[in-house]
Amino acid sequence: MSIWPEERVLAPGAAEFDSVDMTINIGPQHPATHGVFRMVLTVDGEVVVDCEPYIGYLHRGLEKLTENNDYRQAMGYWDRTDYLAGMACEVPYCMAVERIAGIEVPERAEYIRVIMAELSRINSHFMFAGAFGADVGSFGTSFIYAWRERERIYDLFEEVAGDRMFPTYIRIGGVAMDLPDNFEQRCRWVLGSIRQGIEDLDGLLTGNEIFVERCRNLSPLTSERAIALGVTGPLLRATGLQWDLRKAEPYGIYDRMKFDIPWRADLQGDIFDRFWMRLAEMYQSARIIEQCLDEMPKSGLVLNPDLPKTLRIDKGECYFRYEGTKGEYGVYAYARGGNKPYRMKLRSPSFCNLSALREMVVGNYIADAIIILGSLDIVLGEVDK
Amino acid sequence: MTALLGLPPIGRQAPSEDVAEALRELTAIEFQIGETATDIDVTVAPAQLTQLVEALQARPKLAFDFLRNIVGIDFTPEGMALKYQFYSFRWGHGLQVTVPTSVGHPRVPSIVRFYPAADWHEREAAEMFGFVFDGHPNPKNLLLEEDLHIHPLLKAHPLQPAEILQGIEEGPPGFKI
Repeated sequence: MSIWPEERVLAPGAAEFDSVDMTINIGPQHPATHGVFRMVLTVDGEVVVDCEPYIGYLHRGLEKLTENNDYRQAMGYWDRTDYLAGMACEVPYCMAVERIAGIEVPERAEYIRVIMAELSRINSHFMFAGAFGADVGSFGTSFIYAWRERERIYDLFEEVAGDRMFPTYIRIGGVAMDLPDNFEQRCRWVLGSIRQGIEDLDGLLTGNEIFVERCRNLSPLTSERAIALGVTGPLLRATGLQWDLRKAEPYGIYDRMKFDIPWRADLQGDIFDRFWMRLAEMYQSARIIEQCLDEMPKSGLVLNPDLPKTLRIDKGECYFRYEGTKGEYGVYAYARGGNKPYRMKLRSPSFCNLSALREMVVGNYIADAIIILGSLDIVLGEVDK
Repeated sequence: MTALLGLPPIGRQAPSEDVAEALRELTAIEFQIGETATDIDVTVAPAQLTQLVEALQARPKLAFDFLRNIVGIDFTPEGMALKYQFYSFRWGHGLQVTVPTSVGHPRVPSIVRFYPAADWHEREAAEMFGFVFDGHPNPKNLLLEEDLHIHPLLKAHPLQPAEILQGIEEGPPGFKI
């Protein structure tokens, strides 16, 4: 016997009833929030009418710590911001300090930095694709597919730097040590494996009708609105605007790299496009790494030999921006003498992208709110600093 | 706003003379033009910030449509300052606006109605330094606890003893390990 009556009849005048809003708290300890993040949803039936995000549960005072440690000591804190892509956070910190101190970086070190940053980007996007698949309902499979490749990238990091997640490998003026002997061969093998991994995820999710139906046309975003809300990175590119700091304001050696910003004529910034954009970007990152392996000087210095024992910067101010894995990773640095920065500020992409959550969630179903949050790909270490 | 399509122009992370040129046309506002390692820097009084921001957004030669970041700095005893970083998608150039203020709880106009992205940045600067943003729609603590009224990024805020022991010679006056 079915639990539902054969015919469900609406009470006369049911549409005129006033519904009562309900408040639902999600987090801070909830698997769907990808960390310690809390949002309070006000729902009318199943539709979200208001959303108030609460952050700060992971606030460690990165900026205060940086101000009170010398330039080199502070570095270890910065890869703990976006902990899925540690190397890609050390690079902008070091580049900002180099910018105000006027320090040159040897060419081989520039190439190594690009390889490490792009491997981190792939790593972070794999994490997104795996966790997002789990959010949408493909629990387990997508996670395991993504984990296989992430493990290989982490093994590579461990070989290079001695640590997997927090390598502290990049240094002001270069990198800590040269690559191990078999690195090129190992890296090429990992790249082949990564390409296979992306194809697997692509086959599992992009072509899956349930997945596509769930994500298409959900919470679309225009380029203009994304810019007004401060949304950058893959989320902005998914709206159809080909804006990538690696091309728009190039730094390091990115102006030598040949890669494309993925684009489709029907991009509309919905959840599916955000997923598609990240998968497409992973191929481009693999392309950049291959170019670096081909073109990099086979030997040479990896750290500027003229660095003083203690770095002191008399005067300097800059806002250095870097295409992090989640968007514009900006480092504001201000020095006025001494061996410590006077002020260091992180403009973290996750923080700015998350501030747009309310607008994206309101008007959608509560079940979709979880997917929308997942599609932002936030890392709470970076949000809370 | 014109439709944004395709690739924006390529900029360099360096001060652009075009921006300085376009800024000099704003004769109604008093400001000084300087530069940092990456951007042109404009110093303006808090009272004229709204007027400047309005011009930055509306003037076609400037067209700063994107607020990147807001930074507070404590220069006690000289004062405090707010630094706003902007970017123009149309021209591909950046700009920094510096607003010097007094110490304590200086009042600065909120720019949320021009740039919705300023919301969380202003809340962060308010709790970390004690700025008061006039006209902010939701002036609550963001990263700190809601009922905690301390401003940890002020230079006078004491450090934890463990951090003082980590190679920092001395703490603030009157603070004992």
